[in-house]
Amino acid sequence: MSNPTRRGPSSAVIVYVIVLVALQVFSVTVSVEAFLTDDERLGWAAAGVSVALFTGAAAFLRYLEP
Amino acid sequence: MTEEVRVAPPGWKRDFPYEAAAEEEVTRREFARYLVLGAGAMAVANVGLAAWTQLRSINRGEPLPIVALDDVEVGGTYLFTYPAEDDPAILLRLDDRTVVAFSQKCTHLGCVVYYVSESEQWHCPCHEGNFDAVTGDVLSGPPPRPLGRIDVEVRDDGQIWALGVPA
Repeated sequence: MSNPTRRGPSSAVIVYVIVLVALQVFSVTVSVEAFLTDDERLGWAAAGVSVALFTGAAAFLRYLEP
Repeated sequence: MTEEVRVAPPGWKRDFPYEAAAEEEVTRREFARYLVLGAGAMAVANVGLAAWTQLRSINRGEPLPIVALDDVEVGGTYLFTYPAEDDPAILLRLDDRTVVAFSQKCTHLGCVVYYVSESEQWHCPCHEGNFDAVTGDVLSGPPPRPLGRIDVEVRDDGQIWALGVPA
C-alpha cells in the first residue's frame, strides 16, 4: 500500500532552490556593503558566490518534475 | 480483491471551501523557474555592483586642484570631495611641503573619520576605529583595511593636486 502523503524527490529539490535563493539575497547584502565600503575584493567574492548559487539553482531545475 | 484507500480532505478545506479558477495555473516547475530567474537577476546585480565598486576606486579619477597649500596650516586638515562630488575626502598637512590625503570613509562601515591631533590618528567615532595619520594603516578597532589613500602633490603654483590614477 502506498503512502498518499509521500512525495517524490522534486519536493526536496524545490526546497533546495528556495534555500539557494535565500543565500542569494544574503549575497546581495554583502555586495552592497562591499560597495559602500569600497571593498573590491569582497565585492568580487560575493559576485562569484552569487553566480555559483545561480548556477546551482538552475542545475536543480533539471531534477524538478512538473 | 482491491482495497481502495480513501483520503479524507483536510479540515480547512471543509471549513473554508476554496475554489480558485487559477489554482492550478502555476506548477511547481514554473514557481521554481521564477525563483531561478530571480536568482539570476540578483547574480547579475552582484557582478554589476562588484564592477562598479572596482571602477569607482577612491584613487581613480581626473587630476584635480584641491586647495592652496598656504590655506592649510601645518597639522591642519582640509575637507574636499574626490573623485566624485559625493566621495568625502580629507587631507592633512604634515610639514611645509608634505601633505597626505585619504578617503574620509571608514573601511569598517563607511562612517566619516576625522583627525585627532593629540594622538595624530584618524579616528572613526562609530566603532572606535583608529588609523595612522600618515599611512592610513589600521591601528585599532574593527576596520579591516587601511583608509583609501588619494595621491596628492604640491605643484609649483602652490596648489595641492589630487593626482588620480587613470581608469
